[in-house]
Amino acid sequence: MDLNFLLLVIVFLPVFAGLVALFTGHIPRLCRWVSLILSIIELSLIILLFFLDLKPVAGPTGTWLMAVDYPWLTGLGARFSLGLDGLSLMLIWLTAFVNIICILISWRTITMKVGSFYFFLLFLEGCLMGLFLATDLLVFYLIWEIQLIPMFFLVGIWGHHNRIYASIKFMLFSFGGSLFMLIALVALYTLHGQQTGEYTFALYQLTQTHLSPVVEGFLYAAFLLAFAIKTPLVPVHTWLPDVHTEAPTAGSVDLAGILLKTGFYALFRFAFPLFPGAAEASMPLLVALGLVGMFYAGWIALAQTDIKRLVAYSSIGHMGLMIIALGVWNVMAMSGSFLQLINHGISTSALFVMVGMLDERLDSRQFSDMGGLWKKMPVFGGFFLFFALSALGLPGLNNFVGEILILIGTFQVQPVVGILAFVGVLLTVIYILTMVQKCLFGEALEERRVWDVDLHEILILVVLAVPVVLIGLHPGPILRLFESSLQHVMFHAPLLAQGLGG
Amino acid sequence: MNSYLDILPLIILTAGGLVVLCAGAFLPRRPPWLLFGLSLLTTLAAGAAALLVTPSSSDYLGMLDLGGYAQFFTVLLLAVTLLTLLFLYRYSKDRGFAGDELYALMIFAAVGMVLVAAAEDWLIFFLGLELLSLSLYVLIAIRRGEAVGQEAGIKYFIMGAVASGILTFGLALIYAATGTLAIKASLAGLTQAASLPLYGLALLLILVGIGFKISLVPFHLWTPDVYEGAPAPITAFLSAGSKVALFAVFIRIALNLAAPAWEVAWPLLWFLAALTMAVGNITAFYQTRVKRLLAYSSVAHMGYLLMALVAVKQGSLPALLFYLAVYAVMDLGAFGMLGALSEVQGDLDELEDFQGLGYSHHWRSGVFGFCLLSLVGLPPAAGFLAKLILFWAVIKAGFVVLAVVGIITAIVSIYYYFKIFLELYMHPAKREVQIPAADPASSLAGLLIAFLILWLGIFPTPLLSVIEHVSGFFLG
Repeated sequence: MDLNFLLLVIVFLPVFAGLVALFTGHIPRLCRWVSLILSIIELSLIILLFFLDLKPVAGPTGTWLMAVDYPWLTGLGARFSLGLDGLSLMLIWLTAFVNIICILISWRTITMKVGSFYFFLLFLEGCLMGLFLATDLLVFYLIWEIQLIPMFFLVGIWGHHNRIYASIKFMLFSFGGSLFMLIALVALYTLHGQQTGEYTFALYQLTQTHLSPVVEGFLYAAFLLAFAIKTPLVPVHTWLPDVHTEAPTAGSVDLAGILLKTGFYALFRFAFPLFPGAAEASMPLLVALGLVGMFYAGWIALAQTDIKRLVAYSSIGHMGLMIIALGVWNVMAMSGSFLQLINHGISTSALFVMVGMLDERLDSRQFSDMGGLWKKMPVFGGFFLFFALSALGLPGLNNFVGEILILIGTFQVQPVVGILAFVGVLLTVIYILTMVQKCLFGEALEERRVWDVDLHEILILVVLAVPVVLIGLHPGPILRLFESSLQHVMFHAPLLAQGLGG
Repeated sequence: MNSYLDILPLIILTAGGLVVLCAGAFLPRRPPWLLFGLSLLTTLAAGAAALLVTPSSSDYLGMLDLGGYAQFFTVLLLAVTLLTLLFLYRYSKDRGFAGDELYALMIFAAVGMVLVAAAEDWLIFFLGLELLSLSLYVLIAIRRGEAVGQEAGIKYFIMGAVASGILTFGLALIYAATGTLAIKASLAGLTQAASLPLYGLALLLILVGIGFKISLVPFHLWTPDVYEGAPAPITAFLSAGSKVALFAVFIRIALNLAAPAWEVAWPLLWFLAALTMAVGNITAFYQTRVKRLLAYSSVAHMGYLLMALVAVKQGSLPALLFYLAVYAVMDLGAFGMLGALSEVQGDLDELEDFQGLGYSHHWRSGVFGFCLLSLVGLPPAAGFLAKLILFWAVIKAGFVVLAVVGIITAIVSIYYYFKIFLELYMHPAKREVQIPAADPASSLAGLLIAFLILWLGIFPTPLLSVIEHVSGFFLG
């Protein structure tokens, strides 16, 4: 049976769910339940894909596990085409999973404009599904832009005190970066059309365009800028801490859990196959930016007094490590970094969820207002320590597997980078432990009435803890999923594949 | 041999306008919806006639174009008129100017627009333009009690009269230089080489006249004042309708202009386009009143269109037509919804007036916001695809520098549109605004516009194929 239509369902179900949420917004209880149930259906559909035993099939849009391809703007040569491979399968799973967490944590904290909140949350989910599946550059670009709108409103309406500044900053950074990508995209489209006489936005066809090194360099630079802002790489990261600090918890979780991954994903899925020569030349730059990001983030994180900002900077550090893996271009490091995308999505989401819980209780995110919480809230403390340890890479938990693969892979190819990255990981350990120490232990400065996590919150934390342990103990099946994606790049870009010796 | 059926839309419109006037004069105890209903019916009938009647030849006595190009613009302009009428119904009733003169002038303005867009003869063009302008002078100042409206009307009248004078002078000179009043023949080339300076001067004067009407920089200075003073639905009509009609004739002139004159003209247009985009967007940046901000945004959009006009001989005609259609819908929607969101005493204008409206009037604000989103050029609104196709056509024609200027100014424009979003959704209301409840007519218009913007933004293939067909025929 042809199940490819499932891809369409996966993209459009959240959008539909968002509309339902919008129209049931006047009954908040109903709206929450409807959003939750439809999101669970979405997640079950994606989990179903894991059990379908999909095999790569070569089609008109390339080799994919599943693909759909419909005519869209016939005059322009743009088609509505989606494709699924191992990497995108894991990422859409993560998206659906994190979205359920977002719905659960907003259950009681969002009481104003409930319908619109869930609409934006679910609409964003639909956009991200499309983003991770698109194989037509115009569809991809369209979604890349649309996803800014729900995030803009999520931060701007339900955010904290300085939310308007943060939402505008987010918008300007993202939109500015992506317009340069649009110019590059149109230039590539025109060049391809002039060479072959066929105007198309299909990724598969555009990879076969012949470009002179200079042109290729410029086009790649425009793509890289847009994706670097999203990832974010130092020095275009400055929007991230501000947006995280001001965003509501669900916004932070979505941002750290999924949105940051779109930059990395797009770099790998689009920029590398389209401009293999320039991408190869940029690898030392990526490694350098990744290292700078790790050390810079670690250094700044140590100086933070706001716990949410600290977690935000830790995201920049983690993304830096993944970019290093992309830059050394080694099979082991690459599969490690793919796994890290998922791991970071879960662990950092969990940390943001817990920071949100702290904020509810203390009405402050300053370390100076914390301390001694372990005694007052033992269950909370236990979970917080667990997720912190997962984030710093304790063996047996999820991050360890990804980080060790990246470090070993890097060390095989570029020992110096490997050593530096290892030092960077140590830095992570230092600032995360400092955070735990300042928050949970020590003496409480003043008596505050705090209450431990209740059943609803424990449920959320347990749901988050399950994949942390599972991936930590048994990462094999997921790593096997990524193999097909890595071969995909080989298939697409022989020039890059030469480096992929391991 | 031409039959009267060929100009059926014009006949229906004119007759309808006269019927409205008669109904106003002889039926003092008419039901309140009668004039509105009559004008709506007239517009619909004219639109149906324009769509359904197959012309017996390609032009009407050498005066009017009857081809697909004119048909496209006739339908578009009648659609604009129809939507404006829907926006006007309750707006004018609540504010006490829903008389026969309003509806009759709206229809006469529509006749003028159709004549301008379809003119193949300078005289018909001038006739249509004057009919349009005279109707607009009155429509802008139709709220007799209001000083701002009167000021706007007088300002538009004085400036418009001067521009008409300049244009007439240009037409006279072109007749003197070429000896014909047919647009195509007069632009095709020079009969005597000696009259070259005369010919150049004539073209320049015509450019100034048209540039004033579509508010190109530096002839745009009337725009913000007039837009601000006119009632919002009339502003919508002025901004979407009259500019599209004038642009239709502008494209006709540019395409027919023969090589030696075009070689001089395009660098000038190139420069004007860059200037219009830059000045429009940068000035809008500093506005604190929404109508003025949108006025400068419409100036900027004229710049984008002019940019594509520079490339019109290298195949940007389909992109231009698509952008014009999308522009008409989204600009009409923005001003129309602003009218629907306004208090009876005066239109909402200061940015602060919009605070919190996103929640107290979420449907109307939603459509208003969606039109703004389209003006910015963000997907899934139609503005994105329209800009994409437009910029692509310009880059393909080789005007890369101009396209880059356009894109940079478009980046600037995000900021000022988002200022309005911030007020709508992210600031609590500081004062209570007394907005009348939504009425069915303007809600229907809003719904239609939102649907059109979404449809053209996601699946514009049907319209694009029509445009491809029309421009193919027009280019011959």
